[in-house]
Amino acid sequence: MESIRGKAAIVGIGEVPTGIYPERSLIEAAVTAAEMAIRDANIPKEDVDTVIPILVVANNIDNANMICSQMVEELGLGRTAKANFLVGSGGSSSANALKVAMGLVTTGLSKAVLVIHSDRMGSGLDLALAIQQFASVAISPEYESPYGFSQLGLAGFLQQRYMYDTGTTERQIASVVETLRKWAALNPNAMMKTPRTADEVLESKVISSPVRKRMMNKLGDGAAAFIVTTAERAREYTDTPAYVLGVASRCTNFSVTQGQWDGFQLWKGAARDAYEMAGITVGDIDVAEIYDAFPTFILMSMELLGLCGPGEAGKFFEEGHAAPGGKLPISTNGAMMAQGHTGAGGGVAILVEAARQVMGKAGERQVEDANIVVETASGGIGMDFHVGVLGREV
Amino acid sequence: MSEYTLPLPVMTTLSKEYWDGCKAERLLYQHCRNCDEVIFFPKYLCPNCMSHDLEWLQSSGRGKILTFTVTYESAPPAFYAAVPYAVAIIELEEGFRMMSNLVECDFEELECEMPVEVVFDAVTDEVTLPKFRPAAK
Repeated sequence: MESIRGKAAIVGIGEVPTGIYPERSLIEAAVTAAEMAIRDANIPKEDVDTVIPILVVANNIDNANMICSQMVEELGLGRTAKANFLVGSGGSSSANALKVAMGLVTTGLSKAVLVIHSDRMGSGLDLALAIQQFASVAISPEYESPYGFSQLGLAGFLQQRYMYDTGTTERQIASVVETLRKWAALNPNAMMKTPRTADEVLESKVISSPVRKRMMNKLGDGAAAFIVTTAERAREYTDTPAYVLGVASRCTNFSVTQGQWDGFQLWKGAARDAYEMAGITVGDIDVAEIYDAFPTFILMSMELLGLCGPGEAGKFFEEGHAAPGGKLPISTNGAMMAQGHTGAGGGVAILVEAARQVMGKAGERQVEDANIVVETASGGIGMDFHVGVLGREV
Repeated sequence: MSEYTLPLPVMTTLSKEYWDGCKAERLLYQHCRNCDEVIFFPKYLCPNCMSHDLEWLQSSGRGKILTFTVTYESAPPAFYAAVPYAVAIIELEEGFRMMSNLVECDFEELECEMPVEVVFDAVTDEVTLPKFRPAAK
């Protein structure tokens, strides 16, 4: 079968600031981000014939309303839209929605697909539901729940083993936070723009060993959108399409206990396949937009992507190579650690940032010659790993 | 026995067999007679060959800590009063992995790869939780 390398492109992006916005409704944020994406793409809205809302975590009714075509009505697409359906795989919803959208446009089933995420994890959270979710979703009720594990413990598990295996220091892990705050300071949509030094991170108390309070993300409200169409149509709409050169993934487990405790060997295949599809080698990568939720996941991912040798990612951050002006900018929106955690939106924000860098629209944090940008996502409790490669040229 | 307030395992026809084993202080895991796969968490069919020819075997209860975390704050609500406590993933010598708590230990001395052994904690009349302590030297 012919490769769909470069056959689809992201042509428009939109995003509202992440933060605590009690007055901003979920649908207002969604409509704002979608409108920005449509205008950014310079696309007649009638060409957007499929809408893919992303899983809403904070409120089940909002989620159901997005499933039931609320966005089609709000955007006035009812005369021309063919389909509206949810894509949900937690933090990797972005990558799965991109794949579905690519399939729809390259087969001619859709002209253009709008992927839209909006959630209110900061101010609209049903607290009882949230506590229940973090203590029970992706945790086995038969074999794990009795032991007091929650999703927050995942960061502890991974950091503990990662430090043991690689000798990475706590200070190096803290330097990831410092770096992401530097990026966030340049991102008008980020929630945590104030600088945070590695020392300040290390001063904070241990929550779930060895993870300290300032190594944890904060929940926020946010929305982001992107529009996918074919490469041919992309050139009609915009001068700055972000071509999708490669996508690949692995989906390996439900529970953390049965996760990838062999150094995530299977997940390396996702990077290998994505690079092969894109026809690139790791040396071609100009920017890496890496999904986080917490600092260790970025370090591990850098090694899975082949951007660093085993155990070298912490040093890479500590020496400033991932920061603004560094030799390989990492997670230039500040990722969830600094832009804020919007539920399933962390992956959407990272993908939108990857497209933004390729399009040359990243303002103060624009990386010069961002020709090849790699991006990642992961859902559940480390259930899968997705790698995407976007580029300025096919 | 004082009232136990922490979450108890959900009992299904499958999990009940495992938990009944724990109640008898036997740590059970599944084995596929068809392909020899070691299986845990318990499954309805072999995740390797899809056979239904599964049997229960008893583990030695000896293993090592794959990873762990000591929770001081932000525990699930039911565990607020239980902090600090240690949660770990244990790799048993038969080659399967399970989650558990680390007990009878100094949290400061815990480390990955540390040998551990099972102890059975009868938390209610019906439920006995397998937990792990550092192995006797």
